[in-house]
Amino acid sequence: MTKNTDSTTCEYHVASFVAYPILAQLDEVKQAITNIEGAEIHVTSAEGKIVFTMEGNSYRDIGTKMDIIRVHKGIINLSPVYHQILDETDNEKNEDQYTEL
Amino acid sequence: MTINRREFIKANAIAAAAAVAGVSVPAVASNLITSSDITKLKWDKAPCRFCGTGCSVNVGVMDGKVVATHGDIKSPVNKGLNCVKGYFLSKIMYGKDRLTTPLLRMTDGKYDKEGEFTPISWDQAFNVMAEKAKDALKKDGPEALGMFGSGQWTVQEGYAAVKLMKAGFRTNNIDPNARHCMASAVGGFMRTFGIDEPMGCYDDLEAADAFVLWGSNMAEMHPILWTRLTDRRLSAPHVKVAVLSTFEHRSFDLADNGMIFTPQTDLAILNFIANYIIKTDRVNKDFVSKHTNFRLGETDIGYGLRPEHPLEQAAKNNGKTAGSSTPIDFDEYAKFVSTYTVEYVAKLSGVPEHKLEALAELYADPKIKVTSFWTMGFNQHTRGVWANNLVYNIHLLTGKISTPGNSPFSLTGQPSACGTAREVGTFSHRLPADMVVKNPKHRAIAEKIWDLPEGTVPPKPGYHAALQNRMLKDGKLNFYWVQCNNNMQAAANINEEGYPGYRNPKNFIVVSDPYPTVTAQAADLILPTAMWVEKEGVYGNAERRTQSWYQMVEAPTGAKSDLWQLVEFSKRFKVEDVWPEELIAKKPEVRGKTLFDVLYKDSSVGKFSLDEVPEDRLNDDARDFGFYIQKGLFEEYATFGRGHAHDLAPYDRYHKERGLRWPVVNGKETKWRFKEGSDPYVKPGSGWDFYGKKDGRAIIFALPYEPAAESPDEEYDLWLSTGRVLEHWHSGSMTQRVPELYKAMPDALVYMHPDDAKKRGMRRGDLVKLISRRGEVQTRVETRGRNKPPIGLVFMPWFDASRLVNKVTLDATDPLSKQTDFKKCAIKIVKV
Amino acid sequence: MKKFNLAVIASLLVLTVSPMMYSLNANAADKETVNTVATLRDHTPINVQKEPNAIPQVINKDIKQGRNYPMQPPVIPHTTRSYEVNKNNNKCMSCHSRHRTEKSQAPMVSVTHYMDRDGNFLADVSPRRYFCNQCHVTQLDAEPLVENTFTDMHSLMKKKAVTSEKH
Repeated sequence: MTKNTDSTTCEYHVASFVAYPILAQLDEVKQAITNIEGAEIHVTSAEGKIVFTMEGNSYRDIGTKMDIIRVHKGIINLSPVYHQILDETDNEKNEDQYTEL
Repeated sequence: MTINRREFIKANAIAAAAAVAGVSVPAVASNLITSSDITKLKWDKAPCRFCGTGCSVNVGVMDGKVVATHGDIKSPVNKGLNCVKGYFLSKIMYGKDRLTTPLLRMTDGKYDKEGEFTPISWDQAFNVMAEKAKDALKKDGPEALGMFGSGQWTVQEGYAAVKLMKAGFRTNNIDPNARHCMASAVGGFMRTFGIDEPMGCYDDLEAADAFVLWGSNMAEMHPILWTRLTDRRLSAPHVKVAVLSTFEHRSFDLADNGMIFTPQTDLAILNFIANYIIKTDRVNKDFVSKHTNFRLGETDIGYGLRPEHPLEQAAKNNGKTAGSSTPIDFDEYAKFVSTYTVEYVAKLSGVPEHKLEALAELYADPKIKVTSFWTMGFNQHTRGVWANNLVYNIHLLTGKISTPGNSPFSLTGQPSACGTAREVGTFSHRLPADMVVKNPKHRAIAEKIWDLPEGTVPPKPGYHAALQNRMLKDGKLNFYWVQCNNNMQAAANINEEGYPGYRNPKNFIVVSDPYPTVTAQAADLILPTAMWVEKEGVYGNAERRTQSWYQMVEAPTGAKSDLWQLVEFSKRFKVEDVWPEELIAKKPEVRGKTLFDVLYKDSSVGKFSLDEVPEDRLNDDARDFGFYIQKGLFEEYATFGRGHAHDLAPYDRYHKERGLRWPVVNGKETKWRFKEGSDPYVKPGSGWDFYGKKDGRAIIFALPYEPAAESPDEEYDLWLSTGRVLEHWHSGSMTQRVPELYKAMPDALVYMHPDDAKKRGMRRGDLVKLISRRGEVQTRVETRGRNKPPIGLVFMPWFDASRLVNKVTLDATDPLSKQTDFKKCAIKIVKV
Repeated sequence: MKKFNLAVIASLLVLTVSPMMYSLNANAADKETVNTVATLRDHTPINVQKEPNAIPQVINKDIKQGRNYPMQPPVIPHTTRSYEVNKNNNKCMSCHSRHRTEKSQAPMVSVTHYMDRDGNFLADVSPRRYFCNQCHVTQLDAEPLVENTFTDMHSLMKKKAVTSEKH
């Protein structure tokens, strides 16, 4: 079996979501999202749809954080849209700096 | 400003979620993705290049190269998903052996049929093509010219080709590879309903209570439809799935009732179901009396082989009357199917009685909404049109048709078999919008739309696919152009027909392809071709959904689209070169003009200016010809169908939509045809209206079981079925060049039952020869793969260019549809 | 590696007004790379067949292979022989589901797999994603017949960053 990656820190995970909250609880939900480490709200639509990202270092990490929002009482629905993992072993991180001139 | 990889992927994640939420991308993300020269990434939609499902994909372009693709979340077809092939679309254009210059067989600087492929310029290529075409015309007339096209052509390419061949060169010798794939489905639709293409749509997948797969391995061949079917089956526990095939495959993983039947006995099973419905008194009498007629079809119609073949000599009705039928009534029909008892059919098919009855009950029970899916198992069948007719019978007897979830659904193999081959009518007997060349009224309509003199379009149907190869071999078809398909690998009986045909010294063969395929290898001139998002186009999928895309990247220097090739070639002919004087005399103003002028530039095709091409878009073809040619071709083509139940929306709208299902009337698409309330063409008060037939009634056909063209005997003791695999598209010319797909399924193996292997002293991995009366092919034995054939049958896919299974197959066709049966022939297997 | 591009030469010759046909003797070595035929057939004539190679082994090293672009389904780095995935069982999920990864040490399925067709978030993997093998495939130990020149966006950006630094 493939080695677990949960315990390692050489992975960078980013997932993006759209949350549909009960409009009356919009602020509460937004607060709950921003309380999570690595979560960031980018835009909220006029209807109250919240576009946010979650960063973490493992699948489990992202999954656990995701559950906090999923079970929030102000949430009607949560749609995970995107999930990418960057393997940052071999010091790739330094190599991958792009400088814009 | 420093951009690192994390920020970049985060920006993409934000952009994706914003798109789903329907809000504009926040500046922080959009700046990072689009404003910097280094990270500039542009996303756009395109239909997938592969199968008939017609998924939409988002294509990411950076620096003129496709760098990423993923499922389009806005598409109702796939809602963000792709299959493994679709996910690797990014790589299909980047095989290192892309062709970038025309290659002509030459010796000492001159064309030589036996020469070596030598690079030449496009100008030289068109010179030699024009010379060869004019020679053939002069010597033997228009019938010596032919073209083999594709259900992977864009709608515009197919339409331009039809116009060039049928009106320009005045030959009907144009046929698409869709002949191998959908011709029996077309025949079935025309015969039962009088109008082509499915009445239902993919929304049936979420509405049905039962699914029956008839010779369709959707899990591998229509994977995204399979995800929808799986979703329905696993989300709604009452839903049942029945799967019928001649061997066990991946779709059986979800089957509640999996059935392996003896090849060809599907005809008997279909008649048994009709009999069961009648015997258990579950005929929907109201529906049947109002909306159907009964007819008895002609039998013993032969096998579409060469006339001198013993099977054709023996057949009584393989001539012009093969498709004829006589009216009967319900009682006569009931009597006809009454011999198909469960005992008889269980014995004939090898399917246990209780399984047959459980299957029949899905159709008979009025409470169950049932959708039938079929593909090549029915269509590639010497009685393919019959099989299509027979499945419609059981839906018509029960009235389970044209309502959500009640759907006899013929799935399409290719991305535009419906859009280009069928709707445009690139067949040897057809014209756009279901019209045929034999009908003088239809020819007159075409000539009027094309603004050409009466008598331009020849009335005699041309050579169909199998006949083209035979005519090449016989030296009757001498100038032959193959575009957008790989027929040397795909067509049956390479040894006896295809290969000797292409290599016949009398013939000049041109093959257009992005890659050097087996067909290109057999050609005399190879033309390097632009593909997919290297050009603008339109595809039409299996649910009548028309989808367009813009050109997103430049083709490799030297490669040109099929459209450009066709239209540019037309400049090489003056009307006088191709039309007789009496035809020109009917329209003297065309004198001295080229086919390019008459068919494209000065016709309605040429009426949209370049100003209509969005400035920020690539469109090499339009800019080269000086007008918006894709729009002109589409709009002219659309005039054929508008007002005739084939209505298409204005061209520009398709660039904004994730496709629309025709007929599009008053801006609205149609989901279920022939049903009042959902189809605007249905007469009010009729309930259902099968308006393809004059009296609005669909036909229930009495047709029997007849045996296959070739069955196993003592010497050739195994059935051979061929087919596709999940990881490769058709002949593999694109997907075999994607490393991940190649490594997932590198070679075509022969799948056989372990007992069959053991009996012949073989083990998994052994090198063996498959031998038929026509030829042989070597491969390795697989006894534990994903396909599990029963004893007596083997399966070998045809994607592998190095192991040509079609050297073995038989070119027997359905005499009605002229479609080859790739699923049944007799072979033996020996150890090498 | 032959970098020799016949197409460029061909187009140059068009420009030099050469209406006559010319022959460019593409030698055998050129045929290996540019504008040659039968690349998937190892240059074997159609009426001949080269002996098929042995069936390659499934790569079973458990080393994760990088993705070419986001949303590309990862390939499976281990054998899946006799894995049952049908309407009753899903062997893949017995290691890769959220609840099992701690024990199995296998990577968990991506969170995108929890969304249904209508965009609703589910507690478990969506049934539309049930058959893993529609997107995820094992890799056999076979050398591709033709090189693929696809370049992923990160390599492209890196290249550009390097080039622009030099200027």
